Amino acid sequence: MAAPHRPVRRLDHRTLERYENIWLGIAVVLLLLLFASVFSSMISGTFPLLRGTGGGHAGGVTSGRVDPRNLAATPFAKPGLRENADGSLEAFVVARAFNFEPAVLRVPAGRPVTIHVTAADVVHGYYVTGTNINAEILPGHVASFTLTFRRPGEQSVICNEYCGIGHHGMITRVVVDPPTARSRP
Amino acid sequence: MTTPPLRPSVPLVSGPRAEATPDAAFLASLKKVTQYYVVTGFLALLVGILLGPLQALNYAGINVYDYPVLRALLGSYYQGLTLHGVLNALVFTQFFISGWMLYLPVRDLGVRINMRFAWFSYLLMTAGLLTAAVPLLTNNATVLYTFYPPLEGSPLFYIGAGVMVGSSLLVAGQVVLAWWHWKRANPGRVTPLVAFGSVATWLMWSIAALGIVVEVVVLLIPWSLGLTSGVDPLLARTLFWWTGHPIVYFWVLPAYISWYAFLPRQAGGRIASEPLARLAFVLFLIFSVPVGLHHQYADPNISNTWKSIHMLLTFLVAVPSLLTAFSVAASLEDGARARGGRGLVGWIRRLPWGNASFSAQVLAMTSFIFGGAGGVVNASLAFGPVVHNTAWIPGHFHITVGTATTLTFMGVALWFVPHLTGKRLFGPRLASWSVWLWFVGMMLFAVGMHWQGLLGVPRRSQMSATVQNVYREMNLAVPQAITGLSGVILLVGGLLFFWVLFRTLLSKRVQDGEAVPIPYSEAISPAGENLATASLLTRRTEPLLAISVFAFLLVLLVYAPVLGPMIADAQLVPGVRLW
Repeated sequence: MAAPHRPVRRLDHRTLERYENIWLGIAVVLLLLLFASVFSSMISGTFPLLRGTGGGHAGGVTSGRVDPRNLAATPFAKPGLRENADGSLEAFVVARAFNFEPAVLRVPAGRPVTIHVTAADVVHGYYVTGTNINAEILPGHVASFTLTFRRPGEQSVICNEYCGIGHHGMITRVVVDPPTARSRP
Repeated sequence: MTTPPLRPSVPLVSGPRAEATPDAAFLASLKKVTQYYVVTGFLALLVGILLGPLQALNYAGINVYDYPVLRALLGSYYQGLTLHGVLNALVFTQFFISGWMLYLPVRDLGVRINMRFAWFSYLLMTAGLLTAAVPLLTNNATVLYTFYPPLEGSPLFYIGAGVMVGSSLLVAGQVVLAWWHWKRANPGRVTPLVAFGSVATWLMWSIAALGIVVEVVVLLIPWSLGLTSGVDPLLARTLFWWTGHPIVYFWVLPAYISWYAFLPRQAGGRIASEPLARLAFVLFLIFSVPVGLHHQYADPNISNTWKSIHMLLTFLVAVPSLLTAFSVAASLEDGARARGGRGLVGWIRRLPWGNASFSAQVLAMTSFIFGGAGGVVNASLAFGPVVHNTAWIPGHFHITVGTATTLTFMGVALWFVPHLTGKRLFGPRLASWSVWLWFVGMMLFAVGMHWQGLLGVPRRSQMSATVQNVYREMNLAVPQAITGLSGVILLVGGLLFFWVLFRTLLSKRVQDGEAVPIPYSEAISPAGENLATASLLTRRTEPLLAISVFAFLLVLLVYAPVLGPMIADAQLVPGVRLW
């Protein structure tokens, strides 16, 4: 360590400024590329936010409003999966401290399902493990996303926004039935 | 608005750099109030970090909340978490920064401020803190530091928090006004770097704080008092994040002031470029506020277009951070080479690693590189759903606010407290141990939590008490062990630091505080003294008030289309208490 102190050439203003400008250029280009890549991911549907629908285990959030004190007057009165006349599938889920209704959501594999989630009391989270379904659930607001569960099996649904003393127990399941089953709620 | 009506009864001294002959009585008084701010902040941090290991143990899968001792102290895991968040993230930062960034610009500009008003601001801020402390400690405001309605805490909590944040705006007003008087008395002069950074930070905070002030004053206080029937949760969240993202820059910029202006001197080097440092502060002033929506990618009823625009603006905030990384690293290299450092990276060994004040700040910057990289992931609309509300997020902010801010302030305190009090630093070697342990602990905590988050563990959850099988299926053993270990290391590091700090504070005054000078550094490219001869960048960055008006207009531009429909559509939801 005891290298003798020799006079060294110290950094000068001019050299430093050139490096600074190069670095600034790199930083700006890097960030614009980052933005472009997220944006192209939106357009190509690798993740579905701008379109509102998606493929694979992916979900976007679209809009809607309900009165949380009067869910009985809405489709949320009967939580669960329903098949519409045109054959499309919709699921209604209510988050309420400290449960989700229905307790287990059964969906068929291979068919697009639109899930609508709302909260009856406070803010909750709706996170399906192993997917990128991850939405903030606010009372008075409906979070909706369309997706197709490809593989049969079970996934956990976790409330991941603090909602009170029982928050950590607010966990349920999505059961994905094999495609032939054509399950009903 | 943000600048309080303030008429100093003591006229502000103008003369050029009156600093050279500071009035001893005034300086002593200024040091005193600063010391009160700093010590109050650290007391909050002490309580806050004592609760930290409990969070780490929870995320190690160990539920300690049923032990009788803890039962007697804490209503629940969530009360401990609320205290931990509020004390560390809101109280410590607010008090330390208010002292730090009152003292520095006043010294740097050599002006006099009204000390009565300075004390009034301190007492008001403390009164706010004590008011909020009552419901927090009695488990009547266990709503976490984000306090999302309609989970409803005691009105005392919202009133106390409002007063505390509001009084930081009084400090902001006092500093900006002092700077303004200095400008009037010194036409054509370039604002010195430290004062420039402080004023830019306070101006940014004044714009940023509006969101939370409106949320608390207009929505939450009347609602918690029962005067209104409810709150729209989305509107409240959006106002919260108006402040909630820029607040992280309010935590980091005071650290940047030290990294830019003081750390080079501590390393034996020079500031790389003052004009560039000024540019970084101006970019933060403009870009750190209009970005809050990136905390709300998962919220329904907000247009994806506006989420995308906030994403681009968030990415742009990384530019001044990257500039800082370059500039500060260059100034350290300059110092190390002057001390005989050689080689492409070999010079790093010649930095004064044995100086705890220095190493704390460089370690803070090092972990902030990883924090910043993770932040770019969080800011991405595509990655958002993967990490939103998972343990990844606390992993992320412990290596940002937990190091870039807290570890830097710890390092700063090691010279700042002796400077303010005239007491000698107790145990420099212990101080070294404490900051290295803190760094190692935070890095391990970040590894454990990021890892758990990617596997799907949520944040803010007493997962150790969960009876369902979900976490047992996730293969968490390794990241849980790392998280638990990190909590123990952090506790040891934190206690060592406070031992050093309090032994220093409680020792006898042995010297004039001025014997420990503020480590102002020279610059390789200085900004110059006169605007007329200064570089273009220096001239363009000087009009901070005009720049902040522009920043405010930009904020309105990106928030009006988001908030407008929310207000038009607002649907009030009654409050609930669920803990």
